[in-house]
Amino acid sequence: MVNILLQNFKWLNGLLLFMVAMSLAGCNAAVDIDKALEGHLKGPAKIYRHSLRGAPSSLDPVNAATVYSNFIIVNIYDTLYRYKYLARPYEIVPNLAVDMPEVSDDGLIYTIKIKKEVFYADDPAFLNGKGREVIAEDLIYSIKRHFDVSNRSQGSWLWDGKIVGLNEWKDAGSNYNQTIQGLKAVDSHTIQITLFKPYPQLTHTFAMGFSALVPHEAVDYYGREFSVHPVGSGPFKMLRYESSNYALMIRNIKYRQEPIDLSFEGYDPKLHKQYGIDKIAGKSPPLVDALKIDFIKESASKWASFTKGNEINFSGVPVEQVDQILTQKKPTLILTPEMSEKYHMFHTIEAGFVHTDFNMRDPLIGYNDDPIRDKRNKKLRCAIRSAFDWKERNDVFYSGIAVEYPGIIPPVVPEFDPHLSNISTLRNVDEAKRMMLEGDWTKDNVPTLVYGGAASVSTRQIYEQFRGWMKDIGFPEEKVVFDSYASFGDFNKAMKEAKIMIIGSGWILDYPDAQNTLQLFYGPYGSPGSNNSNYNNPEYNRLYEQTSTMLPSKERTQLYRKMNNIVIDDCVSITGLSRDNIFLWHKSVISYPDSGIVGGFHLKFVDMLDEEGK
Amino acid sequence: MEILQYTLRKLVTGIPLIFGVTLISFTLMVHYGPDKTYDLLGKNPTQEQITEVRHQLGYDQTFVVRYTQYLQELATMNFGYSDSSGEKVSSILIRTMPVSLALILPGFVLGNLLGIILALISAYHRGYWIDKVIMGVSVMGMSVSFLIVIIAFQVIFSSSKGLDLFPVRGWDVYSFTDYIHYVTVPTLASIFVSLGYNTRFYRAVIVEEMGRDHVRTAKAFGAHPIELLFKSVLKNSLIPIITRIMFSIPLVVISGSLLLESYFGIPGVGKVTYDAIISGDQPILKAVVGLTAIMFVFTLIINDILYKVVDPRISLK
Amino acid sequence: MNLVKKRSTAQAREENVGESMWSKAAYKFRRDRTGMMGLYVVVLYMLVALGVAFGLWGTEWSDNNGQKWEGISFQYWFGTNILGQDIFERAVFSTKTAFEVGLVVAMISTLIGAILGALSGFFSNTWIDEIILWVMGVLDSIPFYLFVAAIAFALSGFAYSMHVAMIATFWTGTSRLVRGEVIKLKNFEFVEAARAVGVPQHTIIFRHILPNTFHILLVQSTIVFVGAIKSEVILSFLGLGVKDGVSWGLMIAESTLEVQAGEFANFYAASALLFILVMAFNMFSDALQDALDPKKVSA
Repeated sequence: MVNILLQNFKWLNGLLLFMVAMSLAGCNAAVDIDKALEGHLKGPAKIYRHSLRGAPSSLDPVNAATVYSNFIIVNIYDTLYRYKYLARPYEIVPNLAVDMPEVSDDGLIYTIKIKKEVFYADDPAFLNGKGREVIAEDLIYSIKRHFDVSNRSQGSWLWDGKIVGLNEWKDAGSNYNQTIQGLKAVDSHTIQITLFKPYPQLTHTFAMGFSALVPHEAVDYYGREFSVHPVGSGPFKMLRYESSNYALMIRNIKYRQEPIDLSFEGYDPKLHKQYGIDKIAGKSPPLVDALKIDFIKESASKWASFTKGNEINFSGVPVEQVDQILTQKKPTLILTPEMSEKYHMFHTIEAGFVHTDFNMRDPLIGYNDDPIRDKRNKKLRCAIRSAFDWKERNDVFYSGIAVEYPGIIPPVVPEFDPHLSNISTLRNVDEAKRMMLEGDWTKDNVPTLVYGGAASVSTRQIYEQFRGWMKDIGFPEEKVVFDSYASFGDFNKAMKEAKIMIIGSGWILDYPDAQNTLQLFYGPYGSPGSNNSNYNNPEYNRLYEQTSTMLPSKERTQLYRKMNNIVIDDCVSITGLSRDNIFLWHKSVISYPDSGIVGGFHLKFVDMLDEEGK
Repeated sequence: MEILQYTLRKLVTGIPLIFGVTLISFTLMVHYGPDKTYDLLGKNPTQEQITEVRHQLGYDQTFVVRYTQYLQELATMNFGYSDSSGEKVSSILIRTMPVSLALILPGFVLGNLLGIILALISAYHRGYWIDKVIMGVSVMGMSVSFLIVIIAFQVIFSSSKGLDLFPVRGWDVYSFTDYIHYVTVPTLASIFVSLGYNTRFYRAVIVEEMGRDHVRTAKAFGAHPIELLFKSVLKNSLIPIITRIMFSIPLVVISGSLLLESYFGIPGVGKVTYDAIISGDQPILKAVVGLTAIMFVFTLIINDILYKVVDPRISLK
Repeated sequence: MNLVKKRSTAQAREENVGESMWSKAAYKFRRDRTGMMGLYVVVLYMLVALGVAFGLWGTEWSDNNGQKWEGISFQYWFGTNILGQDIFERAVFSTKTAFEVGLVVAMISTLIGAILGALSGFFSNTWIDEIILWVMGVLDSIPFYLFVAAIAFALSGFAYSMHVAMIATFWTGTSRLVRGEVIKLKNFEFVEAARAVGVPQHTIIFRHILPNTFHILLVQSTIVFVGAIKSEVILSFLGLGVKDGVSWGLMIAESTLEVQAGEFANFYAASALLFILVMAFNMFSDALQDALDPKKVSA
């Protein structure tokens, strides 16, 4: 009998042992930065811990489609161009390229020289594990990869149909030994690109992660897992990467020595001295020994980790905290004293915007073969837009610090028109009711509005707010419904198949040129393209095509603004709002963060003060 | 030898179960699951690109072909690469499963242990106030939603508005103290929600056992309460207890930690699986569902063998 | 003549067994104070839910007339949420949602469980039983949330995908219990008598045996009801819950962010109402089990 008791305890003991063993196994899966860095760095290390509010899906440059992927990729890999660290508006400058491209007079031939003696980081993928020199062929190889169907490129749209011979190369079966007429290496360090017609944004595409220079050895060596084993010539080298959890990088000791010229980067003592930026002058990036980036989706968790002090050094401010950390919101944001004592703050308008589109392919609200109904639908759309309250949207969901503006050219691009009438963003219930009356719409004959979105608390709240506004202009409650999709993938699919009537969406700019947002309403880009509203206006399309080959100029800006007005007049989209991102970082860090165009490029300039504050 | 034969026979009978689970899960999660095509496409894709991606994902193949492929993958334990990150599915699972186990195990063990202890106390004092208090509290515990418990515990123990003792999220574990640091709040939450159910279940089992003649006789003869409980009662209640624990294991490992992992941002297999469902990452789903089914069958077998060990009178035939 | 007489004896026996059990149970239940209290609370909630269904109250749940996060006032008894919606109205409206989910899931899963369980038990050790057992085994081995999520995706866009998912998982519990009981019952005299006189099998199963498992079905349906409204909360948090209207689950999901900003009204309102109903239901269900199952051990 006693041995039963004993047996029982043995059993429990076993379980406890098992539990401890498992917990230790669990430890191995996590990371001890110091331990991980051991043997890689000498002496006390400067470790900067950044955070992102989402995780990259893939680190293969052909899939650098998300902000997060791009953010990491530009730190591991080199791109030909980058954006100045401090200058705003954003200015593109050479990175791996020696200079800005030499462009022929007709705008069709680009010649780009790349720096010599730049090496890939050491990796088992290379012969003897030593990274070799970066050559012009690497860029060509990296672009070719986008046109190799087996890579499922997400960036081929950047060069599709633009470079002579590239599409033919793809159609001929993507043989990497075959040369391409319009994409060739003149010598080991000179690239020549020939275009069909001028493409003013081409240089910008070489500042995107998509165009990062990839060594073919690593692609061959890692195969499918290349996407989690990045090997590049950028400022950092990946040490450990857990997708959806964190990335731990160390300084690439072979990174080229290029002392920082602050005035070149756009240093302005009035703006930047407060962050201690002057201290990095003359140093050569990267300035920290290790860089850990945590991917934290839950804003509360991120905030808690940031305020702990010994965890992440950088955080955006979650909307629900904004009111608690600020003493003043207008005209400028001011931190509470206790916050400003501990943290640096910088805020900037995002390189993107939020808008709500009508699906013009839906005859209930968009284009209709019946010309009378077509006109009535326009009245209905304009009425809905007038009932829409951007100010309240801003107050409720963005703490009232976002920027509301008319049309589809956001404030972050140089073509933005600050003098454009903002009447289309203002709520005007009387006007909306008048439109309904003009269009002969009553509560009995209005179509049921279907607001589509991926199931999440905030999307549902945004819909509920929208429903409230629609009720104010006479829509019965049951005629404003929410079409919730269980996943973003399903929502995206429905959107790309033009099945959603009213689409709440956002856009993040790929480069600082309004062309990037104007293409969202270009007819031929209708679903499954980026034009989710399926807007198709011949005049607009003509202007888009005309401007697409124009270099930046006053004339082009005029045409851009004309296109902007066409979209506003047709009531195809309810626009717009750009969020104001607030960044906070610990006082021990010297940084000027950016989440948009400069994005990941800023990390190599980040430095940490040592204990004496130097 | 007998045990080996028995195990083999059981394995064979487990095949229809594995077949059924994989078939249903495959139909729901893979065949009707989210379509990843547009996530993997760039901006302004051509019809050609759409077709190509669908082809690479295998969407253009028939159900039968895809399901057969899946069974092959399951048989060879080779699940390929994640559709999102491109990482090997096996390395994802090897990385995340220990985390989930380490997260869930203390709560599971303590929840059951405390449940048994409370049940013993309650059963021994059946009908008295202490029993009533324990049972009343159990019903209350059963009535609180897990989600509410998680939210409340995070505010109380971890947030700066509460006691601020533990980390709000994450799993930066590299020593035993860190482990305790990260696992405490999730553990408390899972004990809180499971304790009510466990106590009631074990109490019912034990009360039934105590009603048996030999126990009543021993009690009447004034046997020491602790001795009585352990010697006579617990021993004979072991079968239902083992069954309950064993059957929770496969589900606990995979789904039990889903809520905890997503709320506390812990990179375990539950979160990985859930993300895979949301994004339609089929290679991961196929692996997780297949492995769960296999684990279930093994549990059934081990459970039967344990019966035999606990009570030799049960025949293995 | 003979036939009719035999049948009536069998039936009379059944009814007699039933009657005494039910009247005893009713007597026992009425004496159970906690059970009665639970019942009163459940009935009160049900009246609230009915009122919502008939448009008597809870009609302003979707109006966003207030300011963001208003405090408790005479107009807004529980304050307002981020959109300026009346939390009290929403909490009241959610009572209807909870009953809708609970009743639909409990009734359908009990029905399926009863029919399949009875078939499985009556034809135990035949291929029918094997198949039903196999289906139950399969459904039980798929992790609940994964299964529900998978169904929600598979039926994407269908307003009742959550209900379907819960029914698909909850019926097996009932079914197993019914199966066990039916195996016991089918050897009883009245069944054998019916069989002997050639009463068709379906009549035996559904007219003679199944009514005798009614006490199990009743208790099981209360347990499923509670399970359903508790699961709704978690599924709504995961974005897989109710599609139209509002529910306590959606309110709690909304509150996860608000709690971080120090706004607890949504959280308190929804979780308190949910807790009280579940608690009352559990008490009611326990008392019911005590009353109906003479073998069940009770305090």
